[in-house]
Amino acid sequence: MAGDTTPHAPTRSLEPAPLADAPAPGAGGGNGDAPGTTSGRARATRSADVVQTRASLIALAVLVVVFAAISPQFRTVGNLQQIIDAAAVLAVLATGITFVLLLGAIDLSLPGVIGACAMTVSLLVANSRNTQDLGLLGIGLTILLGAGFGLLSGVLSTRLRIPTFMTTLGMSAIGLGIATILFAGVRPVVLDEGLGAWAAHRIGGFTVMSLLAVAAVALGWAIQRWTRIGRYAAAIGGAEDIVLLSGVPVARYKTLAFGVAGAFYGLGAVMLTARLGSGVVEAGAGTDFAAITAAVIGGTLLSGGRGGVLQSMIGVLALTVLANGLILTGVSPYVQQAVQGVIVVLAVAVATWPVRRRLGVVK
Amino acid sequence: MTETAVETTGPGDDDGPASGAARRSRRDLALLVMPGAVLVLLLLALSTRNPDLLSPDSLLAIADSAAPLMVLAIGVTVVILCGGIDLSIAALAALSSVLFAMWIPLFGAAAAVPVIAVAALAGAVQGLVHVKAKVNSFIVTLGGLALWSGIALVISGARTVPVSDVDAIRWAFTTVAGLPSAVLIALGAVVVLGSVLRLTPAGRWVRAVGHAEQAARLAGIPVGAVKVAAFTTSGACAGLAGVLLVARTFSGAPSLGATLLLPAVAAVVVGGTAITGGFGGIGRTVIGALIVIVLRVGLSLIGVDAGFESIIYGVLIIGAVAVTIDRTKLDVLK
Repeated sequence: MAGDTTPHAPTRSLEPAPLADAPAPGAGGGNGDAPGTTSGRARATRSADVVQTRASLIALAVLVVVFAAISPQFRTVGNLQQIIDAAAVLAVLATGITFVLLLGAIDLSLPGVIGACAMTVSLLVANSRNTQDLGLLGIGLTILLGAGFGLLSGVLSTRLRIPTFMTTLGMSAIGLGIATILFAGVRPVVLDEGLGAWAAHRIGGFTVMSLLAVAAVALGWAIQRWTRIGRYAAAIGGAEDIVLLSGVPVARYKTLAFGVAGAFYGLGAVMLTARLGSGVVEAGAGTDFAAITAAVIGGTLLSGGRGGVLQSMIGVLALTVLANGLILTGVSPYVQQAVQGVIVVLAVAVATWPVRRRLGVVK
Repeated sequence: MTETAVETTGPGDDDGPASGAARRSRRDLALLVMPGAVLVLLLLALSTRNPDLLSPDSLLAIADSAAPLMVLAIGVTVVILCGGIDLSIAALAALSSVLFAMWIPLFGAAAAVPVIAVAALAGAVQGLVHVKAKVNSFIVTLGGLALWSGIALVISGARTVPVSDVDAIRWAFTTVAGLPSAVLIALGAVVVLGSVLRLTPAGRWVRAVGHAEQAARLAGIPVGAVKVAAFTTSGACAGLAGVLLVARTFSGAPSLGATLLLPAVAAVVVGGTAITGGFGGIGRTVIGALIVIVLRVGLSLIGVDAGFESIIYGVLIIGAVAVTIDRTKLDVLK
């Protein structure tokens, strides 16, 4: 536990650029991949990013070393596979929420969107409730439904001009309502063999789901790095007013970023359903929090414009290792929830501590 | 000092061009009348379905079931007036319900006092972290949500904690002069909080901080202290709400709070308090809480699926925020 806070210390010695006015749009990728801009501030920001990433990696390494020292069970190949399998769903969800966080927005809609998508996919593939058997098409439709939820959150936020945490809080309630209506009192058990194999079948020691998650994360990274949706998302988070003045249709790209995020939540819901073996309304309970925590401790800042999919993955692994290690050392799973609550606040506080005097009004 | 604070009750703010001021005063007037009108219309519409709804007994029953929600919502109203948000209230109420049920054997009826004190302390801690570390209030309280519900689950062993001595909580579910005591307690909380906000500088300070924090700071208002006090109030109200919940269910439960956050936030914004801060008040939240409860009663009266209740909360929150939000304060929307 102590390992989560101390490794962030190096950020203090450095002087990162103020969070509110991060780099020029071109350098917004934040992966140190824009060699064209060499102004002093861009360099400072980039090196701050590198320090942040290193700090997160050190935190992960410290966790691994500490638990490996405490628990002999932790240092087994089987447990490594278990950690990767356990991280799969969170990795996909964190990839999605990274796009929203890059904007400087927040997404609390995961429990609702995942609940609705989990019920939808379990009713569209072969199941115990109805005669549908759409198989892969059903999974595709579910991912589209997730994207639809995301687009709706984006449209409502940008067109009605509402803060995203309110829109997505409302959207979560709407999704949970839809899930409850679809549930209708009878749990649909998934009979589709293809979907069942996601959790049961192993290739090279890893479940199909884990391999899918790796592919999804790679896809998310590609979207973030090589498409306008990803590039503009980081730029908007860095300096929205400047991006707007450069003629970028900000509202459209914000909405699209929410849509991409929603598609990943949809895939996450399918994976959760495969793991649970049936459609569960509360499948997404607490996932909003876990995904935000993972992204933040990985170095994707809530102020937007900094971090990325790969950084978030460090956070996902750190959180999963922490959960796995706490279980192996005999700590109640409920304690983990409390610990996560403290960690996320600490991570945000540590990230903003060096510049807190320069932050203006914080709501 | 109070002279420099923002005018709180007048409908028209005196900044901006004339057309903007006129538009804003129209908006304020609409916000003043609408929640009450909605409540009356809702009651009338439902009474055509079931005439008994408007009888004193059933109105009192509605008020009785609204009491915990109302207490929870007036607390978070103070934080929202400051321009922040408290997402931890429901989890804190659940933790308080567990603590209350566990402490009754120790303290008897007086257990409510330490429970509310602990909840207030929890709120104060969140406020201090928010102010000192300059972390967004929603992220602090989201962390708080996980922390408090985690603690509630751990100390209760994830089980419902039954009340060992029903007599010790009788004061919270008896009737006094024909009125349910829970309603009187909720009204008492409303009156105390309302008069502190109206009769002392506190109300002006809170609204000034929510309306224009920099200006409030320059005017010499102790902005940090006001914010911490707001979060402390919110925590204390969550504690009281937890106590009232125990009196309704005769047990404390760590999962009790999960269903209360959305209705409480809905009550605040439906009442017309702007999520951007500075505009609104306790009275509005009382009406908002009644609207939410009447809606819930009405939906079960009409016999719609429970899922629709959740959808309606979601739509209500988004719709009400869209109407009440003060967009002049948002240059960049996050």
